[in-house]
Amino acid sequence: MSDELRPILECLVFLSQEPLTLERISAVLEGVPEEDIRRALESLAASTASPDRGLHLLHTGGGWLFATKPEYDAWARKHLQIERKTKLTSASLETLSIVAYHQPITQSEISAIRGVDSTGSLKTLLEKKLIKIIGHKKAPGNPLIYRTSDRFLQYFGLNSLDDLPKEEEIAKLLQEDKSTEV
Amino acid sequence: MTDPTTDALVPEPASATDGYQVRLEIFEGPLDLLLFLIRKKKIDIHDIPIAAITRDYLDYLDRKDQINLDREAEFLFIAALLIYIKSQMLLPRETDLAEGEDPRRVLVDRLIEYQKVKAACSLLRDKEEDELLKWKRSFLPPLPGAGDIEFLEVSLFDLAATFSRVLKRKEAEGTRTIKGKDVSLEGKIKDLLAVLAAEESIDFLEYFERQETVEDAIVSFFGLLELIQSHRVRAVQDELFKTIRVWLRRERGKGHGS
Repeated sequence: MSDELRPILECLVFLSQEPLTLERISAVLEGVPEEDIRRALESLAASTASPDRGLHLLHTGGGWLFATKPEYDAWARKHLQIERKTKLTSASLETLSIVAYHQPITQSEISAIRGVDSTGSLKTLLEKKLIKIIGHKKAPGNPLIYRTSDRFLQYFGLNSLDDLPKEEEIAKLLQEDKSTEV
Repeated sequence: MTDPTTDALVPEPASATDGYQVRLEIFEGPLDLLLFLIRKKKIDIHDIPIAAITRDYLDYLDRKDQINLDREAEFLFIAALLIYIKSQMLLPRETDLAEGEDPRRVLVDRLIEYQKVKAACSLLRDKEEDELLKWKRSFLPPLPGAGDIEFLEVSLFDLAATFSRVLKRKEAEGTRTIKGKDVSLEGKIKDLLAVLAAEESIDFLEYFERQETVEDAIVSFFGLLELIQSHRVRAVQDELFKTIRVWLRRERGKGHGS
């Protein structure tokens, strides 16, 4: 079954610009059990991992997507005439990680943690569609409430918020920092 | 707060992304500066010598060139907090303070929280760097210079200005109307729509140049305004003062029985 499904899945994922979800694939391949689809996707992902392929199938942002392999980044950039790729600024990344770990959250709560006003960073993140507004808080001033978006997950190669670096990883990093300094 | 427009960095090869790059010279905020001072002095975050740290902190504030002036208030706020904490610690008390009542507690909690954020940032930064090396189709920007015209929807004034330019040009040609003839608005609208249907889009200037007389041109212009107003066509200008292109609006045009 997996052998028959693989080329079909390859077509469907190829046609997607956003991560293709299992639900969507199920809707297209009516009647095929999700478990079979998942297995076929994993087998496809494994086959694209082979070194003679420039693309690999990624499980990211809650779906499946083709992407070029990191080792060919220089070629991609040369072709697209892009010398540098823009990273988030430190301020934006700080704000984003606070939203990620403390969501749902308001601007003033973020600013309180950072110790600096974060309005500008929030605006940038909204423009980049890495966060979204999900409503107003029932508090004085009815402040906006922010959450991370699906694009956020994809941007960092995560499938869900559970994939965020865990508390232990953070603690470990802080410990390492300390030991390297002493 | 002002974000630098782009913090573009050359992506490093995947192997060189180990370790956290701390930018010592630019502090994201007062807590960042405070953490830096604490680390520099190898101080235990739970037992901060407030007087010494406050002195270092104020020294940094004096060298304002290292601090974004927009954030001066935020830096001063923490300075005030430090001084307040010190004053609380100096106050004589009847009984020794219990563990939880340490005046430094407020600050320490914030610093620990902020430290976690910084650590999470560095982990996310690594992920970002990894992901940026993988090109996805949805992230592909258009090739530079590949005919990406930004269209600009025009206002009535732009239309009128372009029109008066055409008229002036026509006058300069010295064309003379010999015999008056009735030019009907309906007729011109029909004509415009017929041309649009045949040619998909028309060049505003070109179309009016083709009009035989000034009357024809004026009535055509009214016709165009009428069509725009009833949302049957769309007028778009590539750039200010350039020609205006007119398209049929397919989705709405049908309903009007043109």
